[in-house]
Amino acid sequence: MPKVMVIDDEPFILMMIEDKLRRGGLDVVTLRESKNAVEVIRREKPDLIILDWMMPEISGINICKTIKTDPDLSRIPVFMLTAKGQEDDEKLGISCGVDRYITKPFSPRILLELVLEQLGSR
Amino acid sequence: MSNLEADRIKEDLKATVTELSDTYEELSLLYRLSEEFTGLGVDGICRLLLQKAVSLLGIKTGAILFLDSDSGRLYTRAYTGRWKADTSFKKEDSILWRAILSNKAITVCNHNTHRERLERISCDSLLIIPLNGKKQTIGVFLVADKADGREFYSGDMKLLTTIASQAALFIENALLTQEMQTFLIETIRSFVKALEASSLWTAGHTERVTRYALSIAELLRLDAHEIEKLRISSLLHDIGKIATPKEILNKNGKLDDSEWSEIRRHPIVGAEILSGLSSFREVIECIRYHHEHFDGTGIHGLCGGDIPLMARILAVADAFDAMTSDRPYRKKKSIEETIDEILDCAGRQFDPVVVRACIEWLKSPDYIVPPEPEARA
Repeated sequence: MPKVMVIDDEPFILMMIEDKLRRGGLDVVTLRESKNAVEVIRREKPDLIILDWMMPEISGINICKTIKTDPDLSRIPVFMLTAKGQEDDEKLGISCGVDRYITKPFSPRILLELVLEQLGSR
Repeated sequence: MSNLEADRIKEDLKATVTELSDTYEELSLLYRLSEEFTGLGVDGICRLLLQKAVSLLGIKTGAILFLDSDSGRLYTRAYTGRWKADTSFKKEDSILWRAILSNKAITVCNHNTHRERLERISCDSLLIIPLNGKKQTIGVFLVADKADGREFYSGDMKLLTTIASQAALFIENALLTQEMQTFLIETIRSFVKALEASSLWTAGHTERVTRYALSIAELLRLDAHEIEKLRISSLLHDIGKIATPKEILNKNGKLDDSEWSEIRRHPIVGAEILSGLSSFREVIECIRYHHEHFDGTGIHGLCGGDIPLMARILAVADAFDAMTSDRPYRKKKSIEETIDEILDCAGRQFDPVVVRACIEWLKSPDYIVPPEPEARA
């Protein structure tokens, strides 16, 4: 079963995504604090990561940069979930290696579809 | 806490998260929907509303009925699936009217055998949603029979009601815009009629030029917004002739040089007259340059693509009508002669691309020979 890791400081978003992805037949690991995110990623070795952009401690974009420049982790697809809807933000995200940029509020149904599509295309 | 209780709380939490997730889904849908509705006309909004009902609930049939306040009838404005385009209902004590008045959705199960069944509609389950704007009743939105054969749930009702109430506000706005647009065009038409009434030779010229220009513009694939601007420009293109002495406009013979130069001022005068209308910027430019020559030998010396496209279209449409109409000093040309002359001027007076579109239109089945002008006494 493919494993998806979700990192977001909002508990409701985290619960909701977990619920939706589990019902879609995926294994889900959630993390509310971004502080040790990279360590947890190294340990869990997820097949896909969903990241919130704006988090206290380390921002999602910085976690993404770390992942994408680490040869062991760089192949893991990263979805960036964010309230930042500006085109420039999206460009910045993509330039940091984000595989998919999704603006909040998002449709959980479509998120699941996109995750399955990404996992299926490997 | 016993294990049983703990399990129950876990189950409850799971159910709550699932419900919240559905609510969040709805929220994100509405958020995106208002973006999608923005800028659409009435028909575009109706089409999108029907599409959403099909994609979200898998309905087989759907219809949007508008209330005509004069006749008090609800008539079909848009539909999908098994529906007849001419279906309409009287404003009576039917369930449709009850939905509008109470501003609440109504579901009907086993519609075909229901005591309040709607005439002419054959379906099993029906969902009626009122479309009420802020100030006016728009009509109702009907959806019938889900593809999976199930009845409508309260969740379906809630979802469609939310989408429909948002659509109703957008429709109300679009109707108001449309009304203002019609009012604007009709006002302009009245002014133009007044202008043409003072000239013996140009009756109907403006309306014909407008028709020709729009036909050419469609072949050139101008978008709806540009088409509307071109419509207004065409209707107003000769407004500057209001300042041309009537003796010149109505002269029964060839014009001399000074009279021609007086006539040639009308694009500039027209642009000047309209210059106070800031939202008419493109219209004014089109009028100012509608007698420019493509090769740069016109009044302002603009050349090729520097002349606005709408003005290049208007130039060909205007010339076409002038050539195919009688003038005091010459007889009208035949269509074949006109085509030859326009082709001859392509690249010099006219934009060759516009000329090509004009010829294509003249040879298409859409072209209708303009009626013969009435014999003059």
